[in-house]
Amino acid sequence: MDFKTCLIVDDSRIIRKVARRIVEGLDYEVDEAADGAEALAYCTGVMPDLLLIDWNMPVMDGLTFLRRLRAMPGGDGPKVLFCTIETRPERIAEALAAGADDYVMKPFDGEILQSKLTEVGAIAA
Amino acid sequence: MTPEDFDRLQGLLATRAGYRLTRDRIHLAEHRLGPIARREGYANVEALLTNLWANPVASLGWAVIEALLNVETWFRRDRAPFAVLEKELLPALSGARPGGRVNVWSAGCSTGQEAWSVAMAGLDAGVAVDLVATDLSQRAIEKARSGLYTGFEIQRGLTAHTMLRWFEPAEDNWRVRDELADRVRFARANLLDEPADEARFDVIFCRNVLGDMEPARRARVLDGLERRLVDDGCLFLGLDEKLEGETVAFRPVSGRQGLYVKSPSALRRAA
Repeated sequence: MDFKTCLIVDDSRIIRKVARRIVEGLDYEVDEAADGAEALAYCTGVMPDLLLIDWNMPVMDGLTFLRRLRAMPGGDGPKVLFCTIETRPERIAEALAAGADDYVMKPFDGEILQSKLTEVGAIAA
Repeated sequence: MTPEDFDRLQGLLATRAGYRLTRDRIHLAEHRLGPIARREGYANVEALLTNLWANPVASLGWAVIEALLNVETWFRRDRAPFAVLEKELLPALSGARPGGRVNVWSAGCSTGQEAWSVAMAGLDAGVAVDLVATDLSQRAIEKARSGLYTGFEIQRGLTAHTMLRWFEPAEDNWRVRDELADRVRFARANLLDEPADEARFDVIFCRNVLGDMEPARRARVLDGLERRLVDDGCLFLGLDEKLEGETVAFRPVSGRQGLYVKSPSALRRAA
């Protein structure tokens, strides 16, 4: 089977649902995780092609998860988009330095996500 | 809004702006004129239009026209044209120009995203670009000049990395940084007007403008673009915009979608 997979990591069920609808529209198979620890367990089993990661989550936050992910075998493979309400430049730079391919400030819409995914090469232009 | 009102609006947009207001936009027109009616102190859109037809004041007419134009745009729209500009055209043109300066015009720049994208390409290419950006809409030009964009606007077409490089937070918005801000001269201009000066450009961006125009007006705009473009210059149109029989002045460049150069016949005519 030749579909791409995406894991959406966010503690808000509503955000996961909104993001899922957009990403599914771009021909991704989508799974969800509610925090970084859940996401880490998921990635240990199977590495998705794309991850959307929130920053502030219970149990394990997005930045900690991202650093752990990038240190895992094969963890440099997935494209990672940080998707959070944090808009301070130094925090955005921090997420990029930790290995995020791009960064999306909430709120976002389908056009923004599509444009970001095109820039990182996750979908064709 | 009555069908007669809409007919007259279509006529107003076509005559003054060359803009084709299609019939499916009647509800959009109603929606966009609401705030203008309120601002100008009319009870509703019908009252605004009744007054406009009876007493056609230029300023009110333009406010109505501006509200109905299609101003949708985003940063680095379609991406490829800006890569071609940065990697191919600017280095080549700069090498061929005295002092290395390249003149670029963003014609129909709307709220400025295209112009800033061109300015970024110039700085990234290390080429001095003299950049003029014009639009029919005074409101769009004022926004472009402010260099302020919402979180939605700033993220459409820009990576976070590029955003941080050229923009800084300004309360809830993002503002273009000083090093970019003084690279663009914004001005209001109507593409239907005869060129009033001798300015010529090496590259013209006129993207997603002709596609919204009345077919009968496109030739006039194309004629103006031809006169403004130097003989070895380049014209960018929108990717979906094709020139079909309305001009012999330009020919497409193969392998570079949306890119046009002057055709041999246009060069002969000029000679």
